[in-house]
Amino acid sequence: MNNLHDMEMRTVYATVLNELMDNNPDVMCLEADLSKASGTNPTVVNQHPDRFVNAGVAEANMIGIGAGLAIEGRIPFCATFSCFASRRVYDQIYLSVAYANTNVKIIGTAPGITQGPNGGTHMDFQDIAILRAMPNMHVYSPADPYELRAMIRHMAASKQPTYMQLVRGQVAPVFDETHTFDPERAVMMREGSDVTLVSTGYMTAFAVEVADVLAGEGVSVEHLHYPSIKPFDAERLVASARKTGGVVTVENQSIIGGLGGAVCEVLGERCPTRIKRLGVPDQFGEVATEQYLFDKHGFGPKHIAAACRELATTGK
Amino acid sequence: MSEQFNKEDADRTAAEWRYIITDMICRAGSGHIGGALSLVEIMHTLYYRIMKVDPANPAWSGRDRLVLSKGHAAPVLYVALAYKGFFPAAWLGTLNANGTKLPSHADARTVPGIDATTGSLGQGLSVACGMAKSAKISGGKNSVFCIVGDGECNEGQNWEAALFAAHNKLDNLVAVLDYNKLQIDGFTADILGLEPLTDKWKAFGWEVFEIDGHDWDEVCDALQKAIAVKGKPAMIVAHTIKAKGCGAVEGKAESHNIRIPDQAAYDLYMGGLEIQEMALPY
Repeated sequence: MNNLHDMEMRTVYATVLNELMDNNPDVMCLEADLSKASGTNPTVVNQHPDRFVNAGVAEANMIGIGAGLAIEGRIPFCATFSCFASRRVYDQIYLSVAYANTNVKIIGTAPGITQGPNGGTHMDFQDIAILRAMPNMHVYSPADPYELRAMIRHMAASKQPTYMQLVRGQVAPVFDETHTFDPERAVMMREGSDVTLVSTGYMTAFAVEVADVLAGEGVSVEHLHYPSIKPFDAERLVASARKTGGVVTVENQSIIGGLGGAVCEVLGERCPTRIKRLGVPDQFGEVATEQYLFDKHGFGPKHIAAACRELATTGK
Repeated sequence: MSEQFNKEDADRTAAEWRYIITDMICRAGSGHIGGALSLVEIMHTLYYRIMKVDPANPAWSGRDRLVLSKGHAAPVLYVALAYKGFFPAAWLGTLNANGTKLPSHADARTVPGIDATTGSLGQGLSVACGMAKSAKISGGKNSVFCIVGDGECNEGQNWEAALFAAHNKLDNLVAVLDYNKLQIDGFTADILGLEPLTDKWKAFGWEVFEIDGHDWDEVCDALQKAIAVKGKPAMIVAHTIKAKGCGAVEGKAESHNIRIPDQAAYDLYMGGLEIQEMALPY
């Protein structure tokens, strides 16, 4: 495989999936007329045309076809924009995948604000929240190309119905070739003592930078990255919250029900702690730049830093 | 696997199935009797004259598959599977009981011989497409059967699957449409008209057969012809009578889901059946 370091995430997805298809005749690639956006066209289209299925603009049917393929022992990866891969096909996932326990892997591309110029109609801030609420679903959001590769390999090797967010463009690497993925384990990015910063997916690279800057100011941030929001590693969160006494969450999602919701549920029951959730408040998206949306909704690096400073001084 | 067919025996078995289905639902206190009773001849023909299955090995990879997309008709599938020996017939007495393996809607997780879990209408034909596509990739010789309801055809996902099956030339896929003309709120023609129904499926690229779904010979003949179709999927539009054989509600929309609150209701529904007594296996 080429060096992942500078690859777009969708190129990593297509490359790793293609490798899995090289080695396992049961792995399949399903798309709903967005194969170029997902990166699987032309790589998978050209190299495995027999196991590439384009369902057309028919996401519900794609999920059902995935379920039928999985019943036959195949391992279908079904990709489309996250808004269509989650809210549009919620009932299809619920019944034909989660309830029926079929081994379908659903890839929600361009999550949250990374949908960019497609704007509010396509920006989905709820996919983690609504799929996390579904029994028998795993919900993942990788931080960088190395974690994405490990995650796809894990998904192909497991029989677990799973939803994964996939940012399409480049993401600054925070891991290296040695990184592994365990859905039961949060990743300790940095140990600290003043405040706990919890992130997932696209926001983790930003959180790493913030923690670095704050260290220079004398604020000791303990940074936890959650590649899996479900299952959720509650033990590591509770231990960190007990140590720091204040928790900031940040995600490329609504602050209702997603990573921040999961953190509040765990700490509310097991270790009541002052918490600040950063992300999109109860609002729709819009056509805008990342910086504009970070500033409007208050979850960019400077807002993360401000929340960490506040919780570090007042959380205990 | 095809077995020696005797019409009198089949008629007797169909009457027994209708008795058991009605009794199961009455014991449960409520249930979808109409769409189960309209499928008796079709389900019997599939399991006794058409489908290759092995009750001793329900997961046999060479078996024919069946997706009951109108999952609420599960009681007729449960009876067929029990008669074939997929599970003890005593289970039939547990429909909808707490902790049962036989819930109201077809459940592949708990019932040996069921290939797909269904219940939310419109999803089964897509699942069947996936099964058929898989067989096409691997060169499997099995057929995939899918039973859809007429009211169910209101769901747009069916038509997504119809496009897909034709585009992908899934000639190993055979669908049967239980056209009993009724859905929960009334006649299909009044709620959301389907006609011209056979023309619609033809226009979507399917080979279409139109039969009397209660005529043994027409059902078997159409299924055999549908299996033999090459290059495209096949749809059998089967004209049926909802709740056929249950005199109290036969041909009535209220047969979709009946409630049996007391002995009088039980007597009403059982009283209209062709046979009035049989030894129940549970």
